[in-house]
Amino acid sequence: MQAVSRPVELRMLLPLVVLVPLGFAVTNIARTDVLDPGPMGLAIGYVALVIGAHLALRLVGNRGDQLLLPAAAAIGAVGIVMLNRLPQSLFGTDVFGVELGMATTQLLWFAVGLTAMVAVATLYRDDGILRHYKYSWALAGALLLVITFLFGREVNGARLWIYIGPVGFQPGEAIKIVLVVFIAAYLAEKRALLSEASARIGPIRIPPLPYLLPMVAIFVIVMLIVVVSRDLGTALLFLGIFLTMLFVATGRRSYVLLGLLLFVVGSFVAYNLFGHVRVRVDNWIDPFADPSGTGYQTVQALYAFGRGGLFGEGLGQGLPSISGRLPIPALPTDFIFAAVAEELGLIGAFALLALAMVLVFRGLRTAMLARDDFSAMLAVGLTVSLGLQTLIIAAGNVKLVPLTGITFPFVSYGGSSLLASFVVVGLLLAISHRSAVDAAVEGRGP
Amino acid sequence: MIATNVRRLSVYLVLSFAAVSGALAWWQVLDAHTLAARQDNPQVIAARRSAPRGSIFDARGQLLASSVVVDGISRRTYVDTAFTHVIGYASLRFGATGVERAWDDLLTGRSDPNPLGDVLNDILDRAAPSRDVTLTIDRRLQDFAAAQLAGNVGAVVAIDPRTGAILATVSSPTYDATGFSGDPASAQGPWDAVLGAAGNPFLDRVRLGHYTPGSTLKVLTAAAALDSGTITPETTYPDQPQQEVDGFVVSGFTIREHDLGSVTPALWPLSPALQVSSNIFFAHVGLELGPERFLEYARRFGFCSGLRIGSDERGLPVDPSYVSGRADAGCAPFLDAVELANAAFGQARVAVTPLQMALLAAAVANDGVVPEPYVVRDLRSHAADAAAGPTSLVLETYGGGGRRVISGQAASQLRAAMVDAVHGPIGRLYAGAADIARFGLSGISTAGKTGTAERGPGLAPHSWFIGFAPAQVGAAPSIAIAVIIEGGGTGSGRAAPIGGAVMAEWLRLSGEGG
Repeated sequence: MQAVSRPVELRMLLPLVVLVPLGFAVTNIARTDVLDPGPMGLAIGYVALVIGAHLALRLVGNRGDQLLLPAAAAIGAVGIVMLNRLPQSLFGTDVFGVELGMATTQLLWFAVGLTAMVAVATLYRDDGILRHYKYSWALAGALLLVITFLFGREVNGARLWIYIGPVGFQPGEAIKIVLVVFIAAYLAEKRALLSEASARIGPIRIPPLPYLLPMVAIFVIVMLIVVVSRDLGTALLFLGIFLTMLFVATGRRSYVLLGLLLFVVGSFVAYNLFGHVRVRVDNWIDPFADPSGTGYQTVQALYAFGRGGLFGEGLGQGLPSISGRLPIPALPTDFIFAAVAEELGLIGAFALLALAMVLVFRGLRTAMLARDDFSAMLAVGLTVSLGLQTLIIAAGNVKLVPLTGITFPFVSYGGSSLLASFVVVGLLLAISHRSAVDAAVEGRGP
Repeated sequence: MIATNVRRLSVYLVLSFAAVSGALAWWQVLDAHTLAARQDNPQVIAARRSAPRGSIFDARGQLLASSVVVDGISRRTYVDTAFTHVIGYASLRFGATGVERAWDDLLTGRSDPNPLGDVLNDILDRAAPSRDVTLTIDRRLQDFAAAQLAGNVGAVVAIDPRTGAILATVSSPTYDATGFSGDPASAQGPWDAVLGAAGNPFLDRVRLGHYTPGSTLKVLTAAAALDSGTITPETTYPDQPQQEVDGFVVSGFTIREHDLGSVTPALWPLSPALQVSSNIFFAHVGLELGPERFLEYARRFGFCSGLRIGSDERGLPVDPSYVSGRADAGCAPFLDAVELANAAFGQARVAVTPLQMALLAAAVANDGVVPEPYVVRDLRSHAADAAAGPTSLVLETYGGGGRRVISGQAASQLRAAMVDAVHGPIGRLYAGAADIARFGLSGISTAGKTGTAERGPGLAPHSWFIGFAPAQVGAAPSIAIAVIIEGGGTGSGRAAPIGGAVMAEWLRLSGEGG
């Protein structure tokens, strides 16, 4: 472990040193007409955490991609500024008798997440741990699913939470990573076989049936999640990750089309079988049919987008609360994108999406530079897990697809999501570090 | 291999991000004005709460509605309850209706009449100033019509047939909206009082009242028949005189004439048939027209679909009128010949709004061109001192166009018959009460048609009149009118004299009465 300099990363992080405290100050003044020094501690804390993570990566000698952390930190900065600007009692937590506001809680999770990121980036050296025990990982994920089903707590009609004492977490976030590891290991091994066609049904070429089994198995698991936990967003995300990885491994669009076809059929069945699915879909088709009932949140989110316009209402100057109540109860989680778009406008929302794209493209670049198939597939899967999640929730907010309750990575309030997202960045850093080291050994430069 | 596929994947991801960006641009910029106009938008509620809302004036600059902001809350005062239904209300508790609703974003300054202004205001981060609205209605005529209607349940609507400008629109009973358009804390009481009052005062009967039109619909039947060449003014039906006595059997169902009183049945062409309001004659006409053509002409005049006073994007909605019952996409098909024959003289499943009937009269008056009705004449910059009248800075003017629905020849033939229906030897018995001469104006003819809409056993019929003036040969009619008195009995008894009085008053006010 030899310390390295990460000059690009540092330069890219420096604007946050100014912008985050500025964002806190602006929202603070906009809402109260005075500058309350209290929340500035949070801003300084955030900057310190991010710079701290950068210094830690230098110390441990990580040579990985230098734009991953700045992109994630910038997206996270938008999130923490927005969360600090909302009523803090919305999602406060009580830690050992000390009441913490929403932004403070989120900051603590940033600390946990960034620490995990550095740890993973440093400790993940031998991919055998992941690659060779892929079925164990899959089994662990399945077990976690079962545990959630048996002991999970139901929130908003979906059984997604497990509580250990006062601390709750969403196993779905951990399962997401485990799933990616399993699929990456499986596909890296069977890639050649899956790419070969041995049978045809009309214009669609299908591989030997035994190799289709994992896909069917995964699809069943995904559908199980829908049935058991009623979590549409995660189901869609898992399927999307799986199909994308399959596409990258084999280069065959027919897999994706077949998978999507199965998904449409499954969705149709779910629509007819489950009331909550029907409500979501009906709301998507016409939220204005019941603007004060089931369509309320969607309609209010659309109003927020409309109010934002091109340039936004200005940080802290949106209308997210009517007489002290949020028009969108799930604003900090499912609809944070709408709040950002209201206050920062189309320009700001585009900027946020652009940051997400930077993160995605650095992740894909990591995959392309990876030294072996497993690392490449793992990087693709991890990157896509972040990218698709961003796309699904953003598209849900703007009514492009039915809204599903998943988080906007790094922006939405939520510890499990934040931790998982930083673990993903940590893994990407580790993979790109190994590529850089290997390339340097071969004398091709860093 | 993987690298190639990753590159392909990145293209799909870019496309996906582009799709989300497109949807984002749609809601935030392209469709933002639609969202901004919706009543339950918190932005609308907030603007209504505190914005210095624009004033509303009558056609001569008389103040009708104005606002003051007290303790950060905008309080609205309405001057004249005769205008309540057309102006509507802007309440912090109960939303907005009428012109207050349709022009809400301009009155509160949430948007600019000029789309470029919206962009500029957005860039400069400033609110558009509030605007004032001027109506086409002269308060003097509106008050006169309201006084004529006072004590009755019903509606009067008058239109300038040449332009479509609404000259008066009164629905009775009315109410005072000032009580619940100010401080929301004290709004509930006045609101409940109106809600509990007899006669459903909240209903604007001109736009949203559905009535059986009775014989006034014969004007539509005649217009369709003359224009399509189904009849000429000389056409007669040989069986008709005897059927006036015995009844007209259509598919086994006997259509009977109304009580003709002292009139002796004869072989009547259009003019006398319209004068006595012969159901038998118009049943024949309707059957000869046939269901398709009858429906086609009804649609041309505006029946079978919702209308607007104003434009589609900014106007007061008017309920659809039906000649054959309601269906999803307008008028239902006629069930059988019996229904068609009855509809031809305004019974069966016919349900119309007073505004639609005024438009029918206006089309005949306007040489066969049905005008597009409008009630807001212009938009002006906000007058700081509302009592001193509107500013002279007109930002936008509104005005209707028109659509030819029958030929000029058919219109003038029908107009002659409608003049006879008021002034003719038999017509005088039925609609003579609408004769403007009775109201102190001479040398001016009135055209019109009464209606006595049967509502079933035990219920007094609705009293109807539609007409226009001046209607003598060579004159261009300047007012067309529809009057209905719910349960008012015969058309000649109640509605016709009100119609005549309002038209006479308008000619006098506008200097045409000499």
